[in-house]
Amino acid sequence: MTTTLVRLAFAGIRSRLLATTLTILLAGAAAATIVLVLEVRATGSDPWQRTFDAAHGAHVLANVPTREAAEALRGLDGVTESADPVPEATLDLRTGGGREPLRVAGLSGPPAVNHPIATAGSADPRDGVVLERSLARVLGLDVGDRLVLDGPGGRSTLVVVGTAIVPNQGRYPRSNPGFAWVGLGTLDRLQPDQGTWRWDEALRVDDPATAGAVADSVVRGAPPGTVSAETWREQRDLALQEAAPLQLVLSMYTGVLLVVVFVVVGILVGARVLEQNREIGLLKAVGLTPRQVTSVFVIESAGLGVVATGLGYVVGSATAPLVAGAMAETMVDGPVSAADPVHLLVAGGPVLMVLVASTWAAARRRTRMSVLNALSSGQPMPPRRSTLVGLVRLLPLGISLDVGVRAFLARRGRLLLLTAAISLTGAAGVFALSMQTALDDRPAGEPSDVPVELPALVYALDAVLLLIALTSLVAVALLSVRERLRELGVLKAVGLTPRQVAASLVSPFGVLAGVAGVVSVPLGLVLYAAVYAVSGGEGRPAVAPWSWLLLVPVVTVALVVIATSVPARVATRSPAAAALRME
Amino acid sequence: MTALLEARGLSRTYGEGEAAVAALHDVDLTIERGEFVAVMGPSGCGKSTLLNLLAGLDRPSAGEVWLDGARVDRLSETALARLRRRRLGFVFQFFNLLPTMTAAENVELPLLLAGRRRRAARRTARRVLADLGIADKADAAPRELSGGQQQRVALARALANQPDLVLGDEPTGSLDSAAAGEVLGLLRAAHARGQTLLLATHDARVAAAADRVVTMRDGEVTRERTLAPSRPVTLPFDPDPA
Repeated sequence: MTTTLVRLAFAGIRSRLLATTLTILLAGAAAATIVLVLEVRATGSDPWQRTFDAAHGAHVLANVPTREAAEALRGLDGVTESADPVPEATLDLRTGGGREPLRVAGLSGPPAVNHPIATAGSADPRDGVVLERSLARVLGLDVGDRLVLDGPGGRSTLVVVGTAIVPNQGRYPRSNPGFAWVGLGTLDRLQPDQGTWRWDEALRVDDPATAGAVADSVVRGAPPGTVSAETWREQRDLALQEAAPLQLVLSMYTGVLLVVVFVVVGILVGARVLEQNREIGLLKAVGLTPRQVTSVFVIESAGLGVVATGLGYVVGSATAPLVAGAMAETMVDGPVSAADPVHLLVAGGPVLMVLVASTWAAARRRTRMSVLNALSSGQPMPPRRSTLVGLVRLLPLGISLDVGVRAFLARRGRLLLLTAAISLTGAAGVFALSMQTALDDRPAGEPSDVPVELPALVYALDAVLLLIALTSLVAVALLSVRERLRELGVLKAVGLTPRQVAASLVSPFGVLAGVAGVVSVPLGLVLYAAVYAVSGGEGRPAVAPWSWLLLVPVVTVALVVIATSVPARVATRSPAAAALRME
Repeated sequence: MTALLEARGLSRTYGEGEAAVAALHDVDLTIERGEFVAVMGPSGCGKSTLLNLLAGLDRPSAGEVWLDGARVDRLSETALARLRRRRLGFVFQFFNLLPTMTAAENVELPLLLAGRRRRAARRTARRVLADLGIADKADAAPRELSGGQQQRVALARALANQPDLVLGDEPTGSLDSAAAGEVLGLLRAAHARGQTLLLATHDARVAAAADRVVTMRDGEVTRERTLAPSRPVTLPFDPDPA
């Protein structure tokens, strides 16, 4: 029997190619975004580990006030390896716009532990300076350029001999002040008062899991604020902090996208079952039980869900390294795809659940009908008494809009879901506009702690969301045309012109888009404010100007009208006689 | 005098090549103003196809359709829609009322399309429904009405604009005997008032009420028969008292 049910489930799939393809693409988009978020996290930590290994990183990096204190740490329990203490001082870096504080380490040779890894030129400063890579990029300095450092001992013009990275340094300017290496003599010349130096002691321990305990013992007993110790886990978190805004935005968009996609998939699946009303009747007529009929539909949906999840996994895994590249500036090499099979399961869970649950709910309702009722039309009817319908009756709407809005009100669940989907898409647009305004408001020349990739990522996600929303609208509009074919035939027979028929299909979508567009403005502002607050923004965030925000509903209506015009034109072409089934 | 409606060599073929099916073949038919014509024949003989073509709901493969001296089969879809809303009324076997509208609103629709103001259309719709004996159902949704009541509403919608011609495709085909009799009475009353009727039917009682019966078989008109004038009846309503 199971084989029979499976065969029945996929028997007519070719005749539903468009709906099937759309369902796979939309569910695939949902799976891809889930995989993307998971993979970005995984691929982000991968290059840091490579950096740590290449630098022979410190499990514990202590910062103490004297060389003697630093050397004493080598005797701590569990310490297996250490480097000579490295002194550092904070100097002033002269830039075109003024002065920037800069942490400068003085090297007498490459440290045995936690040594800088050259990304250009040399990691050995000799008489010049080696800049941390992200700092060099923000300052626009390359190997061979000169920079000026000011210290209590005087001013020094140094040649940039290289750029380098270390696993404990976050991306500038999020991690501020920036970091550089000079020769020990240069440091001594710029800051001759060695009493103000701080000393870094890089320690490796036999068991990295005990790094926290070793760090505690470094700090224990010292006067508060004089000694600090950073474990390898803290170094990793600091390095990965660069990805935090990206991950936050990505998570927000993932949430929005999942809601939009699941809403539309729910509509498509529900409508597909409704459309198959006659098939349900036929299956029951040949002897299938309601449970078996429901199983036929659920099997088909689950099959589509499996294909969609596989597709989403491939796309998400391939895209993740591109998105995660933002955080790789302070690390060795770019991220590579993690392609963790567990992510496939995590993404497949919600996708399959939505598909199966919406199919089960829709099919179960239809299979409860009598065979005769199922064989007849299964079109939903408007509610008997409705305040909204009463209101529509009072409004002086044109005939096309009146007819269209009433047809819309007959499917209120779908109406609400569609409004939510369009509102969320519009809200994502408001989010992007506000983010752009905040970036534009930044004083000229001031380095931003917003990752440069963030705007591009937001616009790319907006474009994906918009594409999905518009595709979904076309799908739902086509569905409306199919469901209302007979009604449209009646309207044509009564005397509605093709233009009026098209307007009766498009205009309610336009009204819905208008409402959703208006709702999307406050919704988008709330989302933006929430993300701003969570990402550590201070004060009141700059939001898009009102003139831009007022355009959101207008653009929403325009896009929705354009998207639904194509299916509406299809409706006007179908002959009235065929629609009425007068033959 | 010009005939109200004329079909000349009307043909309609569905499909192409070997799969082509001639639903209608070279049909000539003339309907005079005020005439009640019934088209009879077995299922699949082309009755509905003929009505569709005469009403401009479908395009002929060959032949011409003339309405009141003007050729209409080449009109654009928009022009055909305007023609239908003012000059033609339809009654279908399965009523085809718009489920999202009340009975009164279904009747108002062609009036509004013809340019009546909303209030005037509402008044006329309610009066027509009252004349057809279903005033108390004006605010009911179609699904709340019996088959006979739905067909009365459909008839009211077809007659509301006082069209030149009312076409009916099996208007009593899905009604019980009593409801069919009532609907037939209303059709006859409209005809007595001067309304031109063209009905496709299997119902012998409908055919018996007609002035002329056209019999079709395999897409062709095989016989035309003029009957004795119908018994005069009193019109149950005046569609345009003003």
